[in-house]
Order: sequence, then structure tokens, then C-alpha cells
Amino acid sequence: MDTRSTQLLKGTLDMCLLATLAQRPCYGYELVQQLARQGLDLVSEGSIYPLLSRLQHLGYIEGYLVASRDGPPRKYYRLRPAGAKQLEQWQAEWERFAQAVERILKGARSDAQS
Amino acid sequence: MHRADQQTQQQISDLVEACAGYWELRGIVRESSHEMQLELEQHLQQAVSDGKSLEAVLGPHPAAFAESWAREMRPHVWRGSTVAFHGLVYALSVVGTTALLSQLLAHSPAFTFTLFAAYLLVGSGLLALLLQLGGFLAPRISTGAGREVLLLAGIVLAVLVLRLAGLTVNWSMTLLSWSWPVTMVLLLLAAVLFSLDCWRTFTREHTSPASTNRSVLRAVTTFVASVGVFDMMMFVGSVAVVDFCRLALRLM
Repeated sequence: MDTRSTQLLKGTLDMCLLATLAQRPCYGYELVQQLARQGLDLVSEGSIYPLLSRLQHLGYIEGYLVASRDGPPRKYYRLRPAGAKQLEQWQAEWERFAQAVERILKGARSDAQS
Repeated sequence: MHRADQQTQQQISDLVEACAGYWELRGIVRESSHEMQLELEQHLQQAVSDGKSLEAVLGPHPAAFAESWAREMRPHVWRGSTVAFHGLVYALSVVGTTALLSQLLAHSPAFTFTLFAAYLLVGSGLLALLLQLGGFLAPRISTGAGREVLLLAGIVLAVLVLRLAGLTVNWSMTLLSWSWPVTMVLLLLAAVLFSLDCWRTFTREHTSPASTNRSVLRAVTTFVASVGVFDMMMFVGSVAVVDFCRLALRLM
């Protein structure tokens, strides 16, 4: 993944994690797989863990252990109401930002054509 | 999906151990650190099973990953204070018991703390720490033996550089000398600080009283055994290693 994509992802990864958890509770590796399925490949997968801890401290998500038949318990994360509210706000911000960038790019393209 | 071979399993466990050691250095509560280790180990296992490399999970610098996660855990104490405190308790216990044993065995009124004993004490602590944190090199140097050789080479190189710079050391030089009452004060201080450390550790972990009792018993047994082993090492070291070092230095 090139540097620009990495930087873009860095700025939006917390929002993407909240959006993924809004669908259903997941554990760390599952989150990475979900993101990859949507086309977001992380440079280092482990980078989600510091972010998950931050989101947990902010009260947006919560972690809980689920007993496993194969081995030790697995830690899952789920969205909390504060997280759902924050996700709505971030989504609205992102849409405004993306629309503004889109308008600028369209303007640049039409200038180039004329 | 394929199963990780034995060497990769060892790399994973060394990496997780290194992260755990680093998180302890950063003062992260044991309960949280244990959860983090578990999460990381499971992720690494699954990633390797899916054919990914360790770097794909931890990036090129595993230590930077451990630090970034530690920062988000908001540890309560300043960096390194936990390990420094453990080191102080351990050093006090080893020095106190060594002094007690030598005063009892030699019927000597005073105990002499030499430069060699100080070197052995500080050197062992640093070596143990470096060996654990050496796990961060696991993605690049896959075997533990390889990392130990690298560490040993670094130490030998440092000694050679110091020798070439003209540094000479009198290993039997007396740093401190004290009598019975000071030995007793040291042992008492070590016991108080160890109890304080246990109390601080186990009150931060919200576990059941039975589980806490078991953990305390395990911690005390491990501590007493390791101090005993170190005392023996000091005795053997003071006889055999001093002679070996003298010979090695003469040869160099």
C-alpha cells in the first residue's frame, strides 16, 4: 500500500473500526479480515490494537472475553451507545470532507478539459 | 491455512514474551498485560496460519508496536519505575542474604561488598532484561541461540573496547563494608519493600481472595527460590568467576 493510502487510512481507521463493530462484535483478527474484505489492507495489522484500546478508554467500545473450546478465551469488542453516537458524528464529518474533496477534484478535471 | 512450524511458534512466543516484559517495564497492570499478550499471541497464530509473516502483524519494529499499545493503556506509574523497584527489592534481598550467610559461615563481624559482587548483581539484572527484550529481534533472528550469540558478541566487543581504551579494574576492590546490625536492617527493608510490592500488585488486580492467596504464595516462593539461586551464584562466582576473569584479562 502506498504512503498516501496509508496516511488516509491512518486518519480514518478508528471510524472504520467503529463502523465494522456497528455491524457485529468481533475479535482483533476478525476486524482485520473484515477491513481487508472491504479493500483496506493494513501495513501492520497490529496497529488496530492501540486504537482499540484508545476507543475502549474513550468509552466507545467495550471488550469482553468469550470462552473458547480450542484454547484460552478470546477477547471480543462491541460498540457502546457512546460509540454509536460518535460514529454518526464522524460519518457526517467524513461525508462533508469527501464531498468537498470531490468538488475540488471535479473542478480541477473540468479546468483541465476546458 | 497451515500450521506454524516449531521455529515460528518459538518466534511468536519470544515476541510475546518481549512485549510482556516491555509492558511490565511501562507499569501496565498484570491483568491487562495478560489480556494483551493473549490477544497478540492469538492474532499472530492465526496470521501465520493464514500464511502471513510476523512483520505483517507487528510491522518492521515490534518494539515500536509494543510502545504504541502501552501508551494507549495509560499506565499509572512513570516509565521504568516498576522494574527499578523490583530490581531494588531483589538487589537488597540478594545482598542482605549473602551478607548474612557469609557472616554466619565465616563468623566474621563485617561483610565486604566488592566491585565484583556489584558487577555480578547489576550485570545479571541487565542481562536478564536484555535477553527478554531480545525477543523483539525474533522476526529477524529467528532462534533464541542466535540472539544470545549476538548479545554475547556485543558484551565481548564492549569489554575489548574498554580494554583497548586502557581501562583496568580491580575486581576485589571494597565498595562497602558493614556489620551485623546493617545486614539485619537490609533484610528487614527488603522484606518490607517486597510486601509492599506484593500488596501494590495484588490490590490493583481485582481477583478473588483464594486466587490472590495462591498468587501471593507463588510470588513469594519464586522470589525466595530466585534469591537462593542468586546467592549460590554469588558464592560460586566469587571463587570461580573471579579467577576465570583474572585469567581472561591477563590473556587479553
